[in-house]
Amino acid sequence: MLSQQILNGLVTGSVYALFSLGFTLIFGVQKLLNFAHGATFMAGAFIAYYCTISGMPFLLAIGLSMVATGVIGIVVDLVAFRPLRKRGNAEFPALVSSIGVDLVLISIAQQVSKTQVLNFPFGTFPVKFFNFLGLRISLLQIVILATVAVLVVLLIFYLKKTSFGRQVRAVATNERAAALLGVNVQSVFLQTFFIAGALAGLAGVLIGLLFNSMQFLMGEPYMLRAFVVVVIGGLGSVPGAIVASLMLGVMQSLTVAYLPSGLTDAIIFTLLFIVLLIRPNGLFGDANAVAGGTRQ
Amino acid sequence: MINLYYAYQPIIDFFLLSVGFGYSQQIALRAGVFSIATAGFAAIGAYAVAILVTKTGFPIVGAVVLGMVIAGGAGLVLSLPLARLRGAFQAIATLAFVQIVISLLLFAEDFTGGALGITGIPRVVNTGVLIFIVAFVMYVMWSIGRTGLGRIFDALRQEESVAASLGVNIGRYHAFAFILSGAIGGLFGGLQSLYVFQIEPHNFGFAFMVNVLTVVILGGRTTLLGPIMGAAIMAILPELARPLAEYRPAVNGVILILVITFLPNGVGDEIVFWFRRRRHAAAAANRVKVKEAKNAVTSS
Repeated sequence: MLSQQILNGLVTGSVYALFSLGFTLIFGVQKLLNFAHGATFMAGAFIAYYCTISGMPFLLAIGLSMVATGVIGIVVDLVAFRPLRKRGNAEFPALVSSIGVDLVLISIAQQVSKTQVLNFPFGTFPVKFFNFLGLRISLLQIVILATVAVLVVLLIFYLKKTSFGRQVRAVATNERAAALLGVNVQSVFLQTFFIAGALAGLAGVLIGLLFNSMQFLMGEPYMLRAFVVVVIGGLGSVPGAIVASLMLGVMQSLTVAYLPSGLTDAIIFTLLFIVLLIRPNGLFGDANAVAGGTRQ
Repeated sequence: MINLYYAYQPIIDFFLLSVGFGYSQQIALRAGVFSIATAGFAAIGAYAVAILVTKTGFPIVGAVVLGMVIAGGAGLVLSLPLARLRGAFQAIATLAFVQIVISLLLFAEDFTGGALGITGIPRVVNTGVLIFIVAFVMYVMWSIGRTGLGRIFDALRQEESVAASLGVNIGRYHAFAFILSGAIGGLFGGLQSLYVFQIEPHNFGFAFMVNVLTVVILGGRTTLLGPIMGAAIMAILPELARPLAEYRPAVNGVILILVITFLPNGVGDEIVFWFRRRRHAAAAANRVKVKEAKNAVTSS
């Protein structure tokens, strides 16, 4: 029972990781919070759903929805972030304008879905279960774990080993210095937004499959979870976000299983508060950096 | 005239409540704190009043005052851990505070009725009461603006290190801002309780937070006129944009993006700044005139 809960938690946590990675990547590069990330996630699930019911093969639908949410990410950057960056000190204005984009996306989704809960048609993904060391694991869970693992490895390879990745890290460390060295900063921003959007979109499809229910507000709880993940893992830290996501997933399924229902959120957000209090830069963040500015 | 008033009374009352919550949000932003905790304070005030009035038969005025004190106390408690955080981290921490309040309200069913909330709250607040209390809060905000406290808040917002170098105790004044934000938020939360008859935790969720933020961003973050303009736009807009009623959140979103991009100070603040600039220009022109007249006298 306990190990089954841990397994289920790991699966959910791995999807959290997919979602939070984009969020923390954008924060790492731009130092801005993207509140439209939850709506991008929801858009991913919606686009895959409508492609599937229009008769498209499921894999193609997933690919299309990832490209589409990547483009949504680029639009968020162009509409909500770029005009504000020019003015400087965009931290608070960017939070507001990304909430604006969030509202627009949610409103469109509400009208498209007529405020209804959507389900993937039966058989979109084969329902198959394996018994393994007394654990019950579905084919979907295995596929999710494998997909997330592959994507995380690819992302880390991209950030550490490729020339693009080096440019991304250079901009994250010092935007001005990177620009002086000939890095096209705007294109780096667009790239990170595309990757973040595509990852969020895929996370949306996987969550839609896992719980087989999608509605226009589905992004909100995940965005709130992403805050917890990035704070515990350290804002802008990729390995931190992965470890924190898995921890959060396991913790959540354990509290749901063993504690009175309804306490889960209180526990998770209290944990966030405690981490902010003791280690504002997160368990894996740079201990010497200062949490968001001057400290007295 | 009277008919007109009755037709628009709900909108006017909604406007007045929004102005109140707007001031709670504004005082934090004015002091340079990226707090979005007003929703949590409002929930605390609303539930304190609802529980005291419906379950213990506490006198209503006393309940409102007590709700305000509790929410202000929550602001003080919240300010202690947040003293170490800035910017995005403050925003996340206050967001977590709101989530904790809401999930505890959902959990403590015996006191709060859980997801169903509390019903049967006496509806004693009307437009007159709201106008009176909004006017009172405006007077308090105006007084703050006129005194050293307001100047310290402005200094903290514009450049914290300069304020610190001038001997301002940053932690203490941020705590002040949180207490004021909490007390005003709690006060209007309590009033909302006594106005809408029924409250539930989800009244104070993400949508509430976005609405309050919108009021202050549209209106302005520093002047007394700010939240009034913001709340007025929010109240009138749905009436003007009836055909777009289904897309109301989208309309709000587009307006948020446009205002923060092109009118970053907000409509109300821009109006006040325009008058100030004109007054200063007029005063400067006047000085030049006086000087010329003096020169003319001395040279003749």
